[in-house]
Amino acid sequence: MGRLSGGGGLLTYVMATAGLVFILAPLVVVVALSFSQANIATFPPSGFTTSWYEAVLADDEFRQAFLTSVVLAFAATVASFALGLPAAYALDRWQVPGARAVETVLLSPFILPILITGLALLQFMAMLRMRDASTNLFIGHVLITLPYLVRTVTASLKQVDRSLEEAARTLGASPWRVFRRITAPQIAPGIAAGCLFAFMVSFDDFPISFWLSTAERMPLPIYLQNSMSKVFDPSIATMSTFTIVTGVLAVIGLEKLVGLRRAMNV
Amino acid sequence: MTASALPTTDMPTRFAPPRLLVGVAMLLPALGFLLAFLVLPSVILLSYSVLSQPQSGDIGLPFTASSYQRLISSPAYRHVAMTTLRVALFTSLFTSLLAYPLAMAIAYGRPLFSRITMSLVVLPLVVSVVVRTYGWQLVLGNSGTGVLNWLLHVLGAGTAPVQVMFTEWAIVIASVHVFLPLMVLPLAASLARIEPSLNEAARVLGAPAWRAFVRITLPLSVPGLIAGLTIVFSLTAASYVTPQMVGGSRGLMLGVLLEQQINTSFDWPMGAAIAAVMVGIALGATAGVEWLVGRRAAARLRRSGAR
Repeated sequence: MGRLSGGGGLLTYVMATAGLVFILAPLVVVVALSFSQANIATFPPSGFTTSWYEAVLADDEFRQAFLTSVVLAFAATVASFALGLPAAYALDRWQVPGARAVETVLLSPFILPILITGLALLQFMAMLRMRDASTNLFIGHVLITLPYLVRTVTASLKQVDRSLEEAARTLGASPWRVFRRITAPQIAPGIAAGCLFAFMVSFDDFPISFWLSTAERMPLPIYLQNSMSKVFDPSIATMSTFTIVTGVLAVIGLEKLVGLRRAMNV
Repeated sequence: MTASALPTTDMPTRFAPPRLLVGVAMLLPALGFLLAFLVLPSVILLSYSVLSQPQSGDIGLPFTASSYQRLISSPAYRHVAMTTLRVALFTSLFTSLLAYPLAMAIAYGRPLFSRITMSLVVLPLVVSVVVRTYGWQLVLGNSGTGVLNWLLHVLGAGTAPVQVMFTEWAIVIASVHVFLPLMVLPLAASLARIEPSLNEAARVLGAPAWRAFVRITLPLSVPGLIAGLTIVFSLTAASYVTPQMVGGSRGLMLGVLLEQQINTSFDWPMGAAIAAVMVGIALGATAGVEWLVGRRAAARLRRSGAR
């Protein structure tokens, strides 16, 4: 590897490093301010304290919002898995009439602006007199995680060694047994990575929760944005740091499961 | 190779249920869910844009184009639409410029640098837009305590020389950060698929490195670039959080206007008309780019004499 050489290669490295600084700058600033002793979140941070962390961890509202987001993301991912796995499998392996149209519908949450999806769902649920915020949020989050599951499962199925499946079938295994013993082990790591990514998509979502959350049922990003307009001390930076750390853990998870480049199709 | 080659019996075997039926049964839950909670609600919402809302507040017949007429005839709304398109255009252009070296580093860089770059490109993708935009609020702050202004002051550039917060430029800068991974990843995938021997051949035949890049690497990475441009343009035009948090009143975009129509004016037909415009921009960007690429690919085929 390493095909970057000479002056052009050096230039590429320099520009890429500048790009990395740009990527890291806002995140590093947030983390740095979370340790500041000052009472307002302004630069440069002064001194060093972990007292904001103690305050945030003791804050019931923050803990509630964090828990809401984790439960919501978990439920949405499980439901998307249950809906998406069979659908992607059927699309990939069986000739279904109108497969192209079906695939377009399955991936349509990617095309429609999410802000509009959320507003349409809000209006629809009001029409049905569905006022339970937890249910509404759950449905909305399944909408945004499902296409990721469909895409990941489809991509994983395309990598399966079909000759192994045919061999098993020739030897008399039932389709279900072939799937369980031959196909599933091959696609499991890819799908696990897809589930992790879908979890993070839900955990970080703003535009769906923005319309569907209520004061009692508020996912973390909405709670954070609300707090930012009311609170100006570094506790906001501290809460934000918790989400950044969650993101770092997710990246490590994706790397461990299948490697980042495979997880991201690069 | 398939079942038809095997001797057929009249009795269907237990392990071969009618395939079509099973396929449909596996598709139906996901398909039904999306039709019920995505397609139907979207159609209802968009239909509001041609319905009327009298003082009583109940939306219904008769059909009217008045929302669209107001949207088109009002200079203020037109201004917001133009701001949205301008921000989306600049964001996708700057994102592609910044993304190229990063994608090159991922696809061709030394293994360690490539891995670090890949990790740092993916990281923002799994951190909420709210948090990242908050970071940009801190970096771009107009007062002397904004990180950038503080840094420039330390370097001797006077007090608070940069005043970009609450302008279109702040939205562009933060949006480039938000959508950068969505440009780098398809670009890196495109670059990684280029056959190395093509470049080597060019170099052996005497082309300098820059020429090999311009004539081989760049054209072959166009599919990834196009995919990235489309997605960044559509998502920027449809964004809400970033313009709301760093745009202020001078950087009003369609997403924020939509939210104001619904939550402040309670004007659903107007909100729906804005939503329709946003959907139109998203679909238009996708279709327009496909049309452009299709035409160029066809032209190239004609030039090369292939049919």
